[in-house]
Amino acid sequence: MTAPKGASLGEGGYRLLAQTLDAVAGERGKLAKIALLSSVLSPLEGNDLVVAARLLSGSPFAEWEQTVTSAGWATVARAVAGVTGWDLETVGACALAIGDLGEAVSLLLPANSAPGLSISEADEALRGLARQRKAAEKQAAIEAMLRRCSPVEGKYLVKTLSGGLRIGADITTVEEAIALAFGRDREAVARAHRDSGDIGETARAAREGQLAEVRFRLFHPIGFMLASPIEEAAEVAGELPSFAVEDKFDGIRAHAHKAGSRVALFSRTLDDVTAQFPEIAMALALLPGSFLLDGEIVAYREGRPDSFFRLQRRLGRKAPAPELLAEIPVTFIAYDCLARDGEPLFEAPWTARREALEAAAREGGFLLSEVFRAEGLGELEALFEAARARGNEGLMLKRTDSLYQAGKRGRAWRKWKKALATFDVVVTAVEQGHGKRAGMLSDYTFAVRDGERFVNIGKAYSGLTDEEIRRLGAHFKKITVGRYGPVRAVTPEVVLEVSFDSLQKSARHKSGFALRFPRIVRLRPDKTPAEATTIEEVARLYEKRATR
Amino acid sequence: MAGHGEIWGTPETVAIYRRRNPEWRGAARELPYGEGAESLGVALRLYPAGHVLGSAQLRFEAEERSLLYTGDFKRRSCRTAAPAAAPPSTLLLIETTFGLPVFRFPPLEELEERLVAACRKAFEEEKTPVLLAYALGKAQEATLALTAHGIPTVLHGAAWKLLPEYEAAGFAFPLSRPYESGPPAPGEALIAPPICARTPVVQKIKRRSVLYLSGWAVREASRADFDADVLLPFSDHADFQELLDHVADVGPERVLTLHGYARDFARILQARGMDASPLSFPRERAGEDA
Repeated sequence: MTAPKGASLGEGGYRLLAQTLDAVAGERGKLAKIALLSSVLSPLEGNDLVVAARLLSGSPFAEWEQTVTSAGWATVARAVAGVTGWDLETVGACALAIGDLGEAVSLLLPANSAPGLSISEADEALRGLARQRKAAEKQAAIEAMLRRCSPVEGKYLVKTLSGGLRIGADITTVEEAIALAFGRDREAVARAHRDSGDIGETARAAREGQLAEVRFRLFHPIGFMLASPIEEAAEVAGELPSFAVEDKFDGIRAHAHKAGSRVALFSRTLDDVTAQFPEIAMALALLPGSFLLDGEIVAYREGRPDSFFRLQRRLGRKAPAPELLAEIPVTFIAYDCLARDGEPLFEAPWTARREALEAAAREGGFLLSEVFRAEGLGELEALFEAARARGNEGLMLKRTDSLYQAGKRGRAWRKWKKALATFDVVVTAVEQGHGKRAGMLSDYTFAVRDGERFVNIGKAYSGLTDEEIRRLGAHFKKITVGRYGPVRAVTPEVVLEVSFDSLQKSARHKSGFALRFPRIVRLRPDKTPAEATTIEEVARLYEKRATR
Repeated sequence: MAGHGEIWGTPETVAIYRRRNPEWRGAARELPYGEGAESLGVALRLYPAGHVLGSAQLRFEAEERSLLYTGDFKRRSCRTAAPAAAPPSTLLLIETTFGLPVFRFPPLEELEERLVAACRKAFEEEKTPVLLAYALGKAQEATLALTAHGIPTVLHGAAWKLLPEYEAAGFAFPLSRPYESGPPAPGEALIAPPICARTPVVQKIKRRSVLYLSGWAVREASRADFDADVLLPFSDHADFQELLDHVADVGPERVLTLHGYARDFARILQARGMDASPLSFPRERAGEDA
């Protein structure tokens, strides 16, 4: 962190970033983390600054690029084996023992006094890796990078490739570090990041005093505004007049970008899912003008939403067969408009965005979510019952004066779901089932989130179809990080929704809780592990039930 | 523990056993390091294990066959236990808690330096250093290291009650007092077992810097597990390289591995052409023989 102002870091630049990330991981306070990130960014400029900001936020590419290194765990582990000389089984056992492949790498790599990768070399190498198609080529590319790494560089290179730095700093922390480094307003940094879809360009604009010039562009995925949960109507009693009320649809949240005849649908995970829903893309493409809509993809039959269970069969297929399209039709229900005819509306209040949405809906092509108002709690409860009767999950409440806070969860939006609680859990281990399901990886151990790690809370055996189990089984084999006899530990990335009869304290699981009769309700491919139920939420529900 | 009718051990181990099991009324036979005993034609001799004060490896010998059982051991030097000896034996039963190459522990001097530096930094920030360290062995080691640098310590009861045995062995703790006499004052470090991490003993110290002293501290995840600020891989067990060195020095015909990464370590030895198998999985061995 001694580089002169305006310098590029040159040789060894990547090592400095890795050392900074390690220092950030070792700090508890957010301010200290921001200060560390800021001090490494402030002397940088040009491409080094762009790339450094991306790497410090854990993603080697801009979000809008839709580029991924797509090196699977096994490929990375093979590269580690190649570089360290340990066999793959030992590498896997080490990763499992340490709990993280990147950390294990740093403990296996020998010291390396050569200066290592420069920032632009790291960038080029990662882009080269993304272009490689074959696993063997990817492995060779990773080995070439690792051979130039010291232990700390290897640690963060592998963490970057495995999709998570786990240093207790989220994207907001990096935004604040950029604001601090270049003396800018942090709201302005956040806005530029949202509109550019690139933390790297945001950093450059911040340095050059050009944050205000960053313009929103369609077809760059944008973060979703998220709602805070409520458990009963009384929680919003005081605010009721300021809320617009809508049904909470049981589907896949998506942003629809449209200009000319081009359409792109992005999921909550910012993945492009357009090809999975050709009928929606086609209907939107026929509409006039350009827009960005926020809404829900739902299975739809005979004028009402169909079950998520059926929609699930449409997911994860790049090009659905015509029979499937006919059997399970889907539609897009829009409830927000974030841009229209070149004008971004993120900073317009909900009321104005709703007007734009209604204008865009005049030509049809998608459904419009109906808006209700509730004068009192009784009316709100009646709306909840009516939404449930229509086959929807519950209600959404949105403050009519609220702006669209992309990628943030706030209290301007609230969600009120079914009374029976379910948890969104992450699968941490799988094993083969018995009887009818012998030979299939059908038994899942799952966990809730505790800060940045996952703590097991239960195990479930059923609830998915054989086809789903087979499809997931193949995936679990790919993401296996170690084996204990029949049990495969897997990278925590598959999210499931589970229901249960009751919640108990238990020493059996690391979470300190156990679920009685857990059942898998459905897969949640639309959710990331970071969105899993937290241990605090579990504890809160336990307290609540205990006091009843 | 109460089930042990008779125990054999080094005088230090017998004394520690009595201290930790005050109700115990069985018979004890003290066997200092190097002194032999014989029973049913088998000769037994105890060798230093380097794990904690009094810890021993057991070597049995009969008809030119010998078995060395390491128990918990380490070869790195520390303040209160002599490094493990490696008497040649035909069969080695080795404790492999850290039997994977990711487990590499720094030498004592480096760790003590980091420990003292972390405590001084905590004092500068007007925080109480809280050392999470196992009550038998590590707590006394850490106390002696801090004492050597003039840092007073407050010891949790589980560690405090074992001090007489250490004093009998010639160690002094002039800057220490028990937690019973009051929580740590500014300038004092608290030493408590890791299990106390989330109990009031630790949690009610508002301004604290928590140091986790364990071989498991090489895992970043232990930061969250123990709510720790500083991770120090202070271990009383052999690391991976020491395990390899021990096998080489003892030079056995066959190695049996026990505890921790027993399976992996046996596999790694096999890959080097040795006759090795984990004791924990005897059925697999039987399957191979069939």
